[in-house]
Amino acid sequence: MKNAGIIFKKEIKEIIKNKNIWVPILIITIIFSISLPLGFILGSTPILEDEDTLNFITKVFGQVDDPLRVLIGFILKQLLIFLLMLPAMVPSLIAPASIIMEKENNTLEPLLATPVKTSELLLGKSLTALVPTFIISTINFIILVIVVDISAYIKLGYMPLPTIEWVIVAFLLSPILSFIITMASVIVSSKSTDIRSAQGIGAVIILPIYLIIGLQLAGFFLLNITYLLIGCAVLLLICPFVLRLAVRVFDRENILTRWKMKA
Amino acid sequence: MITAENLTRKFKDITAVENISFDINESEIFGFLGPNGAGKTTTIRMLSTLISPDSGKITIDNKDSKIHGEYIRTITGLLTESPGMYEKISAYDNLKYYSSFYNIPDHKINNNIEKYLKMFDLWDRKDDIAGTYSKGMKQKLALSRALIHEPKILLLDEPTAGLDPESAHMVRNFIDSLKKEKTTVFLCTHNLEEASNLSDRVCIIKKKVIRIATLSELQSGERGKRAQIVFSDDADRYVKLMKELSEIKNIQTDKNKATLVIENPDVSNPKVIKKLVDSGAKIIYFNQIKASLEEIYLDLIRDEGAK
Repeated sequence: MKNAGIIFKKEIKEIIKNKNIWVPILIITIIFSISLPLGFILGSTPILEDEDTLNFITKVFGQVDDPLRVLIGFILKQLLIFLLMLPAMVPSLIAPASIIMEKENNTLEPLLATPVKTSELLLGKSLTALVPTFIISTINFIILVIVVDISAYIKLGYMPLPTIEWVIVAFLLSPILSFIITMASVIVSSKSTDIRSAQGIGAVIILPIYLIIGLQLAGFFLLNITYLLIGCAVLLLICPFVLRLAVRVFDRENILTRWKMKA
Repeated sequence: MITAENLTRKFKDITAVENISFDINESEIFGFLGPNGAGKTTTIRMLSTLISPDSGKITIDNKDSKIHGEYIRTITGLLTESPGMYEKISAYDNLKYYSSFYNIPDHKINNNIEKYLKMFDLWDRKDDIAGTYSKGMKQKLALSRALIHEPKILLLDEPTAGLDPESAHMVRNFIDSLKKEKTTVFLCTHNLEEASNLSDRVCIIKKKVIRIATLSELQSGERGKRAQIVFSDDADRYVKLMKELSEIKNIQTDKNKATLVIENPDVSNPKVIKKLVDSGAKIIYFNQIKASLEEIYLDLIRDEGAK
């Protein structure tokens, strides 16, 4: 597996230099991990002055002593779902870029002519997407927790995060989701010859995640520990299938004879 | 060193190669020639274990390619049809990356990178990103990559394609020099002069093997039996006389020149000349025409197409 490490190291160097990957990640982090929680929590008092908001809180949570605390608790449940955005988005940006760059440069054939095994190539490419995703998601999680805790402390005098739900999302659901998106991106990339089309299809793959985010924001459900654990279990069941499919796609013969290559 | 036995490979309904067999000896340069779509790239891919034959067997360095693919890839260097370099990293880093997949000590890797980049005049631009290289420079860089682990076997697909005449000459000299280092070279090329100058033997294929032979064996064929006689007067005057000579099989004349096909030229040529001179023919000169590989190749491919 030494060769997977060599591939990973080289890919990471190239990914770090690729602004097309970093700029969207930075924008998402600034919007969803800093601006949005700051805006929601620090701006929660004027929201409570609105009669509709108070009616909504009473309807959903019954009569409460401290509506501000309840509102912030509700906002935190909504922010929780945003933790899934980067684990879904980052692999769909990195994995296709990493594979399609090989196609664009016609480097797959000489690479496969070295003693590298295709399993090492798949592992190297997958790690290239998974490791930065995990690091970025963890940093994002830390930033979000710090921003929320500081702003909540200013408003309420206590620090509400991290909760068990946030930990489940950050360290269980997100890695599983990243793995599935990475494998799906590998499969999609084998059929594309340019980065834009692969990332376009990649965006379609992560559409269900945006749908979940949208449904929660629309009030169809509110993520709790039970939903999260069910979600993890379902996604874990999907993992072997996408892995098997990715391994099949990443076969030496397949790459050279069936992949759509740049002429 | 390399044995291919009855290799067949199809892609869906299209047969790329059918039942091809050849043996390549150690330190031999084996020219592999054929028109576009003849199966050259498929064959080189099978030899480099990138793809498997549907049927047949490849043995390289006494190892079955189906079982020992990884070993075979450590002892072979492949120059692909398209140079294929990582455009955003330097030439040096490209070579360093590829060489790190072989079990070579670091100091040896660095020495080899320096050796080949200097050999191909790329050392001064070693830190430039490969994307800034010209086509010819990329080709030389790709050749350096194929050589970086000092393989026993070199599989070259069009090694001088895209090179300027000086660089092409340098590469040819280098390939020729590999014989001394006991490197076996499988040379796919469209450049018949290159194949003719470098190859110990050539294999001409068009999905199937048409012919495997040395250049002199090929030249001893029908085309190699041709001779040209230039008379001091009209060649037509001697046609009747030449037709009486059983050694001469075919006669074509043009003014004072006659082109003949003479059976067994080594023995017959002196006899033919003597008989013509004895009969009063005034011969200015007599020339045995050596067929070029290009002529032989075109004949063989044409014959194959006519079948």
